[in-house]
Amino acid sequence: MYRYDDIDATLVRERTAQFREQVGARLSGELTEDQFKPLRLQNGVYLQLHAYMLRVAIPYGVLSAAQLRKLAHVARTYDKGYGHFTTRQNIQYNWPSLVDVPDILDELAEVDMHAIQTSGNCIRNTTTDPFAGAAADEVVDPRPWCELIRQWSTFHPEFSFLPRKFKIAVTGSPADRAAIGVHDIGLQLVRNGEGEVGFAVFAGGGQGRTPMVAPEISSFVAQRDLLAYLTAILRVYNLAGRRDNLYKARIKILVNDLGADEFTGQVEGEFARLKGGALTLPQEEIDRVKAFFTDPPADDRPAVLHPSAAFSRWRLWNVKPHKVPGRAIVVISLKPYGGTAGDASAEQMDVVADLAEQFSLGEVRVTKEQNLVLPHVAEADLAELYAALEAAGLATANAGLASDIVCCPGLDYCNLANARSIPISQAISRAIEESGLEEAAGELTIKISGCINACGHHHVANIGLLGVDKKGEEFYQLTLGGIADGEAAIGKIVGKGLDPDHAVRAVITVIRAYLDARTEDESFVQTLSRIGFEPFKEAIYA
Amino acid sequence: MRNDAAYALAEPPVQNANDNAAVEIDAATPFADAERLAAGADEIAIRFEKFTDGRGFSLASMLRDRGFTGKLTARGDVLPDQAGLLRRAGFDKIASDIKPQSPRWRRRHFSHAYQPAAAGDEPAYLARARAARAALVEKLNHEYADASPEAIITAATRAFGGRIAMLSSFGTEAAAGLAVLARIAPEMPVLFLDTGMHFAQTLTYRDELVARLGLTNVIPLAPDKDELAAEDPEARLFEADTAACCDVRKVRPLARAMASFDALITGRKRYHGGEREDLPPFEFDGDVVKVNPFAALSAKEVAAIYRTLKLPAHPMAAMGYPSIGCWPCTAPAEGDGTREGRWAGQDRTECGIFDPRLKERAARTRSYRLI
Ligand code: SF4
Ligand code: SF4
Repeated sequence: MYRYDDIDATLVRERTAQFREQVGARLSGELTEDQFKPLRLQNGVYLQLHAYMLRVAIPYGVLSAAQLRKLAHVARTYDKGYGHFTTRQNIQYNWPSLVDVPDILDELAEVDMHAIQTSGNCIRNTTTDPFAGAAADEVVDPRPWCELIRQWSTFHPEFSFLPRKFKIAVTGSPADRAAIGVHDIGLQLVRNGEGEVGFAVFAGGGQGRTPMVAPEISSFVAQRDLLAYLTAILRVYNLAGRRDNLYKARIKILVNDLGADEFTGQVEGEFARLKGGALTLPQEEIDRVKAFFTDPPADDRPAVLHPSAAFSRWRLWNVKPHKVPGRAIVVISLKPYGGTAGDASAEQMDVVADLAEQFSLGEVRVTKEQNLVLPHVAEADLAELYAALEAAGLATANAGLASDIVCCPGLDYCNLANARSIPISQAISRAIEESGLEEAAGELTIKISGCINACGHHHVANIGLLGVDKKGEEFYQLTLGGIADGEAAIGKIVGKGLDPDHAVRAVITVIRAYLDARTEDESFVQTLSRIGFEPFKEAIYA
Repeated sequence: MRNDAAYALAEPPVQNANDNAAVEIDAATPFADAERLAAGADEIAIRFEKFTDGRGFSLASMLRDRGFTGKLTARGDVLPDQAGLLRRAGFDKIASDIKPQSPRWRRRHFSHAYQPAAAGDEPAYLARARAARAALVEKLNHEYADASPEAIITAATRAFGGRIAMLSSFGTEAAAGLAVLARIAPEMPVLFLDTGMHFAQTLTYRDELVARLGLTNVIPLAPDKDELAAEDPEARLFEADTAACCDVRKVRPLARAMASFDALITGRKRYHGGEREDLPPFEFDGDVVKVNPFAALSAKEVAAIYRTLKLPAHPMAAMGYPSIGCWPCTAPAEGDGTREGRWAGQDRTECGIFDPRLKERAARTRSYRLI
């Protein structure tokens, strides 16, 4: 893991001091709420329906055991005893009070954490593959690049007041578990013809009310030129992105309006000026950051078998192949049947921190599916780990299955919501469990957003649900066929909105229809594209 | 889709006498127009209609990037909380509508920065890399103080693999170094400053050596055509100002090429005298690392290399030229290895590539990469 040097630590402390001063200026009235708002947002403080919300950055989803314990401590001391892991690999606290926030930030700074740029119209936390540095299919470890981007984008003198928020995702594996196609910038680590490592760059993807898959704007940018290239993109966007309409301000609209070719031309023009200049990353710095991210040692103890069927099921779905012999990646599902996606209590966080120290070299990851990951578990320890997780109620064996539902906070917390996404996700989760279909269905994604802002990523779900308001009543629009990872695709609306009960039934109906129609080994999207929407539509509206 | 309706070149409002001089633009001004207006202006004022409109930050940064050195003023709706960002984006004056008397305007919050910017701290990555590079050079100098040229080149290749090149004049002593290089790393880039003012003999000699030694990657660096057309159209600049001539024909082409390299092997030797008498095997001046594998060789040892390897001599060596560069600036001189015949009669024996006094001039040519 990356560890702060003096420069990093000093900057985070200075930022907290600055924010403490800004809170003071707000309380004294020197800053109006209009002036304070963008400042607090850039420090992670959001005003929700009932209270302030604090969103803490988990840079590229990587946590140490000590950091996770600190998050548990914050939940216990300043909130109601739990935190909520988000679809952007961060954590949110829903009930802190504004005057406590500078103290919370001071506490976080003790373990190299912060809430910088977790909200507001700036460059947000860079996200990546939660299995980075561990996945068997990885080409290049993306984490050093996420850290280099984190630093470059922090307190950027040019890009702190962009037209809109800006999200960058990096993947180092062809499987792309970072959904780079639906980000403002997606970076894929690739090797060129000469074997040199660099980046394929995608720009202008996004979800929200105008979902778009990002076009590729460069097939190869050299590592040392990455910051120059990103700066060129941000310059074009900062100057030309629309500021007259909140809903048209994301870079995807600019790329779409200009056309990918024209946009790329403008970026390349600026890049040609910047290339080779002060933005060139020195090899020493690349090497320094890379040195923090080494492979764990192999483990040659024999794997211990566990006789129970429950263990086998968990092993099948929640354990993923590791690049180092004798190790495995373990997904800890935060999706108990009927639970709230992404919520974790302070006690659970402490348990996971302990288990990380005992079994995973002290490392934890947060996934965009709102689960936790122990990335470096020895195969020999799996049975023991499973027993410990089971005792803590953290052994739900559904990673990647239908009940591993992604869900935004919705009307229970969010003042933009149309619908209560959490209760419906709980109902769907219970219905899936009762149907007994999910193991047969295998990997299948369900995602729910409480409004068109799409924080629940419903556009890129195999089965997506979007909450809509019809004359004061909650309805859900069903979309089918979205894909987040790999070849990203936007789902299509099936038909008219469904009331909550019908929506829950419809999800089960869709899963059943898929199971009836699929041929061996076919994924949901493959079946859908073979038989079309009609059979599903008929079953839902029958 | 550009919403440039708001763009207008406003008459500067009369605030005080100073402000009258400024050309005012607003955030919606297309950058090309801002650049055109800045060309003739001493002061540009950028008006912020809303403090959340960040276009002014990019306009300022990009004007500074392209060399605007006049005064930049931020006017209008800017917050004390933005003062640090405004300064780093290149503004040197702030005329805010918001609480101009607040003490918070003078607070400096951050003692480091993560990105290069028009003003203020250098990026953390440069500070760190420079410290790392300085430490590496110190270590190498310690380990290779008395090492052979071969050992020094091998160490340098290991430390800077893929980011290192050799610089050669293909002059009187060049063959010895090139021959050593060819045996260890014939594929290493060899940079040759193709100034356009070389003796014909040097060019013939270059081709002969390259073929004979099997060097596979000789890169001639020519001056930029547009720069030459503007600064030395008749190729007579050397008569008036050799420093300016070297700048356009050597310093800038090399600086451009060095964007791809972090270390440069030179053929300099201590017996050349002048500033070279204390030359260590590795040098770091905060920019690139210069590797001097031949620093400790004596003139006799160089001659011995020529003899043992049966290397051809530069055709003009026998004509009384101990050091050979461009024809206008090279004269015969007394004594092996001396540089007295270079820029004879002038207060210089270095051409700018190795002369710190001329570095500053290079910095003004947009080749300002620090590392
Ligand atoms: S999708 Fe809508 S309802 Fe859900 S969190 Fe985002 S803004 Fe709120
Ligand atoms: S050595 Fe003389 S001719 Fe050559 S570039 Fe310098 S001044 Fe010009």
